[in-house]
Amino acid sequence: MTLLRVEGLGKQFGEVWALRDLDFTLEEGEVVGLVGPNGAGKTTLFNLISGRIKPTTGKILFAGQDISALEPHEICHLGLGRTFQSSRPFPRLTVAQNVLVGRVFGKEFRFRPRPDDLETARELLEVVGLGHKVETLAGSLTPSEQRRLDLARALATRPRLLLLDEVAAGFSPVAVKHAVDLVLRVRERGVTLFVIDHFLNLSLRVSNRLLALDQGEKVAEGAPPEVMRHREVIRAYLGLRREDEND
Amino acid sequence: MERDVPRKGALPGLERGIPITLLLGLVFLPFLARSSGYVLQVFTHALLLASLALAWNILGTGGLISLGHAAFFGVGAYASGLLSLKPALSPWLTIPVGGLFGAGLAVIVGVLCRRLRGAYFALATLAFVEIPRVVTDNWDGLTRGSLGLVGLPGLPVLIIGPWRVEIGSSAAASYYLVLSYTLVVVFLGALLWRSNLGLALQAAREEETAARAVGVHVDRYRFLSLLLSAFLTGTSGAIYVHLTRYTVPGLVYSLHFSAVPVIFAMCGGRFTILGPALAALVLYPVDQFLFHPLLPAGHEFLYGLVLVLVVLFMPGGLWGALRRSP
Repeated sequence: MTLLRVEGLGKQFGEVWALRDLDFTLEEGEVVGLVGPNGAGKTTLFNLISGRIKPTTGKILFAGQDISALEPHEICHLGLGRTFQSSRPFPRLTVAQNVLVGRVFGKEFRFRPRPDDLETARELLEVVGLGHKVETLAGSLTPSEQRRLDLARALATRPRLLLLDEVAAGFSPVAVKHAVDLVLRVRERGVTLFVIDHFLNLSLRVSNRLLALDQGEKVAEGAPPEVMRHREVIRAYLGLRREDEND
Repeated sequence: MERDVPRKGALPGLERGIPITLLLGLVFLPFLARSSGYVLQVFTHALLLASLALAWNILGTGGLISLGHAAFFGVGAYASGLLSLKPALSPWLTIPVGGLFGAGLAVIVGVLCRRLRGAYFALATLAFVEIPRVVTDNWDGLTRGSLGLVGLPGLPVLIIGPWRVEIGSSAAASYYLVLSYTLVVVFLGALLWRSNLGLALQAAREEETAARAVGVHVDRYRFLSLLLSAFLTGTSGAIYVHLTRYTVPGLVYSLHFSAVPVIFAMCGGRFTILGPALAALVLYPVDQFLFHPLLPAGHEFLYGLVLVLVVLFMPGGLWGALRRSP
């Protein structure tokens, strides 16, 4: 079943098209990597899907519903979550409260807390390896812990589709391995994943499919090895010039 | 919920000790200060300012800084004052109606300033005070303009069964009325802070983009907090006008009533429940008993001095520095 369908999507900032005429679909249960060099439009695409900015052209259908005009909280309520490239914790709230916000507001507002809310928050913190930090203020976590907190908070909203923006950027090889395990565990929970991975240290290992962007346009799509062999992708990453192509 | 989890504060003994000691002191103050009406008067006013600072911080919990709460204070004061004069309604009725007028004005502020944040919101509210002030000053037929309101009824008689307490003519009874009201505001503030609504407001204050992304309808909860904050501020204004029994536009719409709640909240601790009230109950009496006799003209420089020191050395406020969590 198609969970996300993007049709003719474009975003113009001033004179510049950050994204142009983009079409693709995500199937339920997939893990799809979004790759491309700096400035390719990866985060712009996430901001469009999550409602943070509005598209100039085209539309975004989530589970059949056009979400391109909805507000971020409405999109979240439909079951579409995201994390941020640089994590955005609530610094003066505890780690548990951070996750609780996602739990309490992710689907609809409940004025009265449910008794199992905190328990669910703790479980999710165990999943991301922060079980021992529930009472710590989020602002005092390390950057890598804050990223995992971001993930736990997004999972607490019970998403069907989760957009992960650079979960493993800057991680050590060991931390990347943990991140891979974590992403696979999230997939086992039945969440469809769309993963931005500029440095390709995550998506080659977890993705069913890659989508490659360069300068706001889709240059390749398909199985990871094929996409990585694709001439346009290599050119985008390595900066191959046109005259080199005939060599 | 998270409140069942024990928290570690910096000074666990003082966290409870200070508020409880202070509450007991306040309850017994009229017996201690029997001889001095002045002491009671100062603490009555300090309690009223505490309620104002607490009401201001209900909006502050959501991350918005208002520099224009005198608008709600003044509208509440004038609404209650006028209704108690012309239709001669009982202040028991007109005081909450004053609060409703404050909330009504907040609807306009909320709609106009919906997209504003940070300094832009603060400056817009600062300018907004001029609208109700100028209207009150110039609508002579309704408000008596710059002549002001005089001879207002004092706080009303309270009849409980066989008892009859003339609150208006007793300094101690007035004091207890304001104390009760301030405790109600503390209670409401704490209830809000610990509810999911309070969690939403704090999340919006800490990281608005992330709050929206995890489903928090930030605009709606901020609007609700503005309505509640303005209602309580209008109620405080209404109580104030029946305490003093006269007013002019320049008094209740003055910068004083906009600035003082901000100063008390900042000094006491914006990220705490009790901090703003504690600062009011310490700073206002210190100002009146110590600085006013020394410097009759410029005694309020105390507030500026304390604010600068707190912002530089204790950005979380005094109460915020004493305890690490709200």
